[in-house]
Amino acid sequence: MKEKDLKRFIPWILILPVLLLRSFTTIYPIFKTIYNSFFDIRVLSGVDEFTGFGNYINIFKDDKTLATFEFTGIFVVVSMFFHIILGVILGLILNMEFKGRRFLRTIVLIPWAMPAVVTGMAAKWAFNNDYGLVNDFIRWFNPDFQLSWLIHKNTARIAVIIMDLWKDLPFFAILILSGLQFISNEIYEAARVDGASGLKSFFHITLPLMLKNILMLCIPFTLWRLTTFDLVYSMTSGGPGEDTSLIAYRISMEAFTNLNIGFAAALAVFLFIIMAVFSAVNLKLMNKLED
Amino acid sequence: MKHGIKNNVYNYFIKIGRWVLCAIVSFIILFPVYWIFISSITPPGDLFKTPIDYFPNNPTLDSYIFLVENVGLLSKIWSTVVIVGLTIIISTLICVMGAYGFARFKSKGINAAFAFIIATMLIPEVVTARPLYEFMQKVKLFDTYPGLIILYISAITPFTILVLRNFVTDIPLSLEEAGAIDGASFTQRLFLIVLPLMRPAIATVCIINFITCLNNFFTPLYYANNIQVLSVSIVQLPLRNNMYGMPWDLVSAMGWIILFPIIIFVAIFEQQIMDGIMAGGIKA
Repeated sequence: MKEKDLKRFIPWILILPVLLLRSFTTIYPIFKTIYNSFFDIRVLSGVDEFTGFGNYINIFKDDKTLATFEFTGIFVVVSMFFHIILGVILGLILNMEFKGRRFLRTIVLIPWAMPAVVTGMAAKWAFNNDYGLVNDFIRWFNPDFQLSWLIHKNTARIAVIIMDLWKDLPFFAILILSGLQFISNEIYEAARVDGASGLKSFFHITLPLMLKNILMLCIPFTLWRLTTFDLVYSMTSGGPGEDTSLIAYRISMEAFTNLNIGFAAALAVFLFIIMAVFSAVNLKLMNKLED
Repeated sequence: MKHGIKNNVYNYFIKIGRWVLCAIVSFIILFPVYWIFISSITPPGDLFKTPIDYFPNNPTLDSYIFLVENVGLLSKIWSTVVIVGLTIIISTLICVMGAYGFARFKSKGINAAFAFIIATMLIPEVVTARPLYEFMQKVKLFDTYPGLIILYISAITPFTILVLRNFVTDIPLSLEEAGAIDGASFTQRLFLIVLPLMRPAIATVCIINFITCLNNFFTPLYYANNIQVLSVSIVQLPLRNNMYGMPWDLVSAMGWIILFPIIIFVAIFEQQIMDGIMAGGIKA
């Protein structure tokens, strides 16, 4: 073989294993999911017939699924709101110059590094009225406090969001921190010479420079919120009722427990479309911001 | 003089404020972790005490012994080690090759393949789960080590490729050209020149992938029945005489078995993990 031909083949041989692997685990299953979404497949009742867009229409008729949408929306918006506010604050804390810095950065990695199921299982017990950590802590200040967090709709939702923040906020803050480190000290020096106070330079220098970074981080973090599964699976199983059920959880339940495969596929396609549209709109927005 | 004192007091407060913030953050993160630990060594009966006993009087390893004797803890640890270990070794091998290919050779096809691999990061597991599950059963890879390892590798591939490719791109091509002039073959250049330079990036990627694999829950939950890794077994623990619907004694012990190595690992590799997170920006 000639040198030139060889050169054309080498890169393909190098990338072949990863390319094959990713194709095998994504392309075929995605097309199969899209295909299944047009069929009414219910294994438990032995139904398997073409329904066109029937499954898609049923998504909006099914009360359970609508409840799932409601909580998914709340979960994403509220969690992202606090991710941004508290994440920026924690990022700034991690950026402080002081002796405990390395210690703090190590601590902050722990929630990120632990499996979400461990967080979820621990949270299930921690939010227990009688023996849980949370109420025990509150009783240090208010000895008569009683609340079964996970059996009431709103408090269960709050608990799930708190745990999501506990687990994932540190990771967001670390990425904020990595953005902060690109802002050079010279800008702050210049601002100080011009007489700007610490607070002023934060709002006029740090925040605007961070804004792009924050917006960019919002894309993957929102997508991860949309596909959160482990936490809800282990902590509340979507309960009480369907009040803390998220889309990804609902899809898994339909696909693997209720064996309502066509419906699960339609819901999965729907989720995928939401994610794709969200990403596209965000990227457009970012490009506009850059001009 | 007066101004100097005022400044000193101000600095003093700033210093204290920093430590207070540090203490608050550490407390929020470490206190629950500590609580999991003490729960795991508290005799099961004492878990139903209010207020919680933060310094157990009669620490016991009872829950751990139960896990070893009745839940098969050791075999679950072994499955986890085998799956995660092989995943890391094989994925590093194929991703180093791939990253080198993507970084050093440019053509429309190669670029499209790279874009494809990065874009697949967007696809959530639940979307592909059911067809993949049926496919794995059809090809007899369901509930087998090779099947799980393939899926584990696939899950970490996009992140690994992204970080390693960016790293190779930054290695000056002139080093390889110098090698070529000295008569080094293609494979010699890859293994003797590029690979040693990639060592820090490979270490970083392996450390992060190790954590990602330990955290993987969806894959072992739905693509295996009999092979149980640690992350799955924590949600399937049996109830001992416990009327509260949840075996917190066993869950906390299992939780601590998972957490302890992770905490040690994070403490040792803090710097590399930070570098890796910042380089990739994305956890696969």
